[in-house]
Amino acid sequence: MILDLHCHSEASEDSRAPVETYLKWLVRKRDLLPLDGIVLTEHRQWDPHVDYRALEDKYGLLILRGAEVETDYGHVLVYGVTDDMTRQFDFGDVRLSARDLIPAVTRMGGIALPCHPGRPTVGLCEHYVSKPPLDGVVAVEALNGGSRRGENERVQALIDRYGYRAVGGSDSHLVSFIGICATEFDRPVRSVEELVEALYAGGYRPVDFRSRLKEASA
Amino acid sequence: MKMEVDPALIGQEYDHTTFAPVTEAEIREYVEASNEIPASEVDVEDLIAPPTFVVRLRGRRFMPGGMPRMGRTGFDAGKDIEFGVPVRPGDVLTASSTVHDVYEKTGRSGSMAFIVLRTVVTNQRDQLVATIDQKMMFR
Amino acid sequence: MAQASGADVIDVGYEIGPLALTLSGAEVKRYALAARMFGGRFMGDEEARREGFSAQVVPGNMSLSLLSRLIGRTFPNGVLQRLSATFRALIHPGHALVVRGVVTEVHRTDHGDVLECDLVIESGDGERLVTGTASVQLPPAG
Repeated sequence: MILDLHCHSEASEDSRAPVETYLKWLVRKRDLLPLDGIVLTEHRQWDPHVDYRALEDKYGLLILRGAEVETDYGHVLVYGVTDDMTRQFDFGDVRLSARDLIPAVTRMGGIALPCHPGRPTVGLCEHYVSKPPLDGVVAVEALNGGSRRGENERVQALIDRYGYRAVGGSDSHLVSFIGICATEFDRPVRSVEELVEALYAGGYRPVDFRSRLKEASA
Repeated sequence: MKMEVDPALIGQEYDHTTFAPVTEAEIREYVEASNEIPASEVDVEDLIAPPTFVVRLRGRRFMPGGMPRMGRTGFDAGKDIEFGVPVRPGDVLTASSTVHDVYEKTGRSGSMAFIVLRTVVTNQRDQLVATIDQKMMFR
Repeated sequence: MAQASGADVIDVGYEIGPLALTLSGAEVKRYALAARMFGGRFMGDEEARREGFSAQVVPGNMSLSLLSRLIGRTFPNGVLQRLSATFRALIHPGHALVVRGVVTEVHRTDHGDVLECDLVIESGDGERLVTGTASVQLPPAG
């Protein structure tokens, strides 16, 4: 089961990608991007009323939702967002306390993963140089499709030292970048609850489709 | 840098400027400097400005008054332009600017404040020429 | 760089460009003046350093113009309806750039197809400097 765990639609202010166009693209590119679905992780927001089930049925792809929030240890992907979480944490605040957020999300049935940890300023690696490590981190986004040269590579040392698991995501803000990096799960994931369970349980790894895309267009 | 912006500023027109008629020389200067349209394809009988010609319009005020200090340096972070009718020599353009959005986020450069300025450009026939959303980043 | 011909059926996945170029400092200054952008950062290295930059800066508007150029060269009979760009990193003259794109959606109408395109300006070693989108109206077939 392969899911892009990190992508942004037009709901994020810096993305131009309609959700339906993402799905059409994935269906068309299925031979190069064998994804089973995507997880939309919009910036600094959570709308409990959004429902993509009609699109899931139309395109045969899973659409789950999380959020990308901003903390004092960098950006974090939150899966399994609940009303309790958004009551306790203002997702629009760019200065959330990661030390408070991550264990609280776990207590409330979700999971919070630091994303693009190798990125300057908003990645965990840099913060770990001068601050104590965070409790409750299970996995980090070791492969981010929007990262610059060297940023993904920095993450291995973090993983080796702290024993974090690794996920992948495209961080796409444009249609044609969806799915270029993703996460492969050994077990099926059919809901956000199963995604959260799988991320705690293990049995997944980042997958990188960029080289096959490059070869195809050469 | 925590941003405190008066919500009343959002949507308020802060600049309304009518420009001198566009000249053929201005269009040709932009054509040649941008190479957006090959010079060989410029129609001398019906000179039309390249699409991004509209970004050269500068009103009397770039930003509204009453904005809090948003950082040491401002950068052009991006644009989103919807195009209407093309610009031709002799057109008298009017630009009306409002603050469309204000938000903050963190990125590689650290904490950043964003302001989105929306400029609606019309011509002397009141036809829409362009709607330009300009995203300015301050840090 | 390939130009779409009237016989081409443009479909999702149609590749746009690439347009490879290197902007000179003189070209950047000329553009900035034509675009009425008089900031020192666009005029030359020395002026840019006085403003705290490492070197002369290519204006974001010029990057936007490059995206428009790519669309115009590929679809010479098309009409640009919308153009967007996010400037992810400063661009300095003298460095190789590649401007490319891909059609991500085609709306077929009686007035001609409307293409939605993803666009990108990359550095010579593949880093994304500018990302954007365009909507282009093609003339009706026939």
